[in-house]
Amino acid sequence: MEKGFVENGFIIDLSNAKNTTQLVFELSSIMEHPDVKGKRICLKLGNLDLKQSQLLSIKALIESMDASIALVDTKSEQTEASAVSLGIIVSEISGEAVPSLTATSPEYIQEEPVVIKEEDVDKGKTVEIQADTGEIRHPIETTEGVEDTYEEETAREISEVIPAESFNTDFESLALNEGILKTEEASKYILLDTGDVLPQGVEENSVNTETLPTLYLNQTLRSGQTVTYEGNILIIGDAHPGSEIVATGDITVWGILGGIAHAGSMGNITAKVRALKLNAIQLRIAGLYARRNDTLNVPYVQKTNEFTPEEAQIEDGKIVIYKKLRRD
Amino acid sequence: MTGRVIVITSGKGGVGKTTTSANIGTALAKDGYKTVLIDTDLGLRNLDLLLGLENRIVYTIVDVIEERCKLKQALVKDKKNPNLSLLAAAQTRDKTAVTAEQLKEICDTLKEENDFVLVDCPAGIEQGFQNAVAGASEAIVVTTPEMSAIRDADRIIGLLEAKEEITSYKLLLNRVRPSLIKSNDMMSVDDVVEILSCPLIGIIPEDTGIITSTNKGEPIVNDEDALAGKAYRNVALRILGEEVPFLDLDEPKGFMAKIKNAFSKLKAKV
Repeated sequence: MEKGFVENGFIIDLSNAKNTTQLVFELSSIMEHPDVKGKRICLKLGNLDLKQSQLLSIKALIESMDASIALVDTKSEQTEASAVSLGIIVSEISGEAVPSLTATSPEYIQEEPVVIKEEDVDKGKTVEIQADTGEIRHPIETTEGVEDTYEEETAREISEVIPAESFNTDFESLALNEGILKTEEASKYILLDTGDVLPQGVEENSVNTETLPTLYLNQTLRSGQTVTYEGNILIIGDAHPGSEIVATGDITVWGILGGIAHAGSMGNITAKVRALKLNAIQLRIAGLYARRNDTLNVPYVQKTNEFTPEEAQIEDGKIVIYKKLRRD
Repeated sequence: MTGRVIVITSGKGGVGKTTTSANIGTALAKDGYKTVLIDTDLGLRNLDLLLGLENRIVYTIVDVIEERCKLKQALVKDKKNPNLSLLAAAQTRDKTAVTAEQLKEICDTLKEENDFVLVDCPAGIEQGFQNAVAGASEAIVVTTPEMSAIRDADRIIGLLEAKEEITSYKLLLNRVRPSLIKSNDMMSVDDVVEILSCPLIGIIPEDTGIITSTNKGEPIVNDEDALAGKAYRNVALRILGEEVPFLDLDEPKGFMAKIKNAFSKLKAKV
């Protein structure tokens, strides 16, 4: 049904993402795949409204992994306008749309074009990476009939799929309980005995962080800089030691988190902190404060390609870190 | 009990105020005196790093002043020595968050329950310096044997003399390199003392161990073998009123050098 002629092409379907946080998290996990290098990415962005700056960041993000954006498929007018202003080709990822690509960018055409086609991919599997061809395939929903059930489907899918399958990784629970850990990596964080640390009059709650607005920042946070926001914070870049991130919702750092991170600062115990490298000097979630263990050997230079994304959350009154392991 | 409040200042940056504060504080605590270190370098705090306490700081001096916590809550106990505690500076604020009166009040409260309150002063002579000096009655001026540092130290001593509350000030000469003094490439200790006409409280040799100790978050006084650590321990003893001779910095290393040194001393006497 769909025939695109994009050399070295990849379709990444992010139309299931409900907000920018999810979008970037999912995109980053896909971009980590070594086969993505040097590819031209066709992005499916769905209904998500993206500002020009946000789209620019995503573009920079993709380019930082030695790939490039070939075209963008979006249902949102705002995203379309942003893409056009950035000179990114907007097109439906379908057979008809591709000729426009031919007209504007003839260099995309290969003599023997790689044909990207939609396949009947199992619904539950959001991402499928084929090792031999290096293609990442997503289910592409184009027909009107599917639209109707779309909302319900994605809601269920995201809550079920994202933790494991879509990232194609294993999660291992590292429980932190006064310095006792289940893995050999010793205790990474130790709960601080600080007594009542929530501001007066603030009570514990568990608001769904997905309903909160998200602040999107594409910069490096340096020592002494603070970001405070009522909602989720997403940072594309590193948060250096001495910086502070305070959010009433989730905190996501697409980079090295080395400063202090306080998620759920107004008592939200479902808030999470996640980073490509979780080296935070202190982790705070709602009223729980944990300090990094002194024995943890953090190198002076933390720049590394060996990222091990981790996610911290509260479970049974403790801060638990879920570690994403690479499957070699 | 009324403790002594000592401010450690220099005027010029990078001469070793924070290193000196951390080491003297640790040395005094090791000798059994209850000591509090106050970092007043708001926005550029380092003292917590040198002590390896960065990950324990929840409240800072600004939180105390703005009454978000009690003073006791903000004091971070040292990992090894229960006699030593730290009142950290806020990293995300600047010097305008604190006034001289507020800092004096904190010093006055702290000296009632401690033997020593050491105030680590920021570089410069502006508000930060005025704040740090406000609560102190004694001062240690840190300088290195370089003209620029000495010029700034001279300015600081002038400012300290003008303050009625400061009853005594002493000079600490840091990063001394005996080999350079010998080859006439560095000002000698006597030269510096003569230029500044200020009583000396210590001479600290340049020691590469300082770099490692800073990076590890472990003050060099805890290293029994390091010469700089020994020099800092001596400074602490002098603060306590003991008469300790200054270290012989050009201690020769090898056997031949020792003999050579003995001869040269003999020569000097003749």
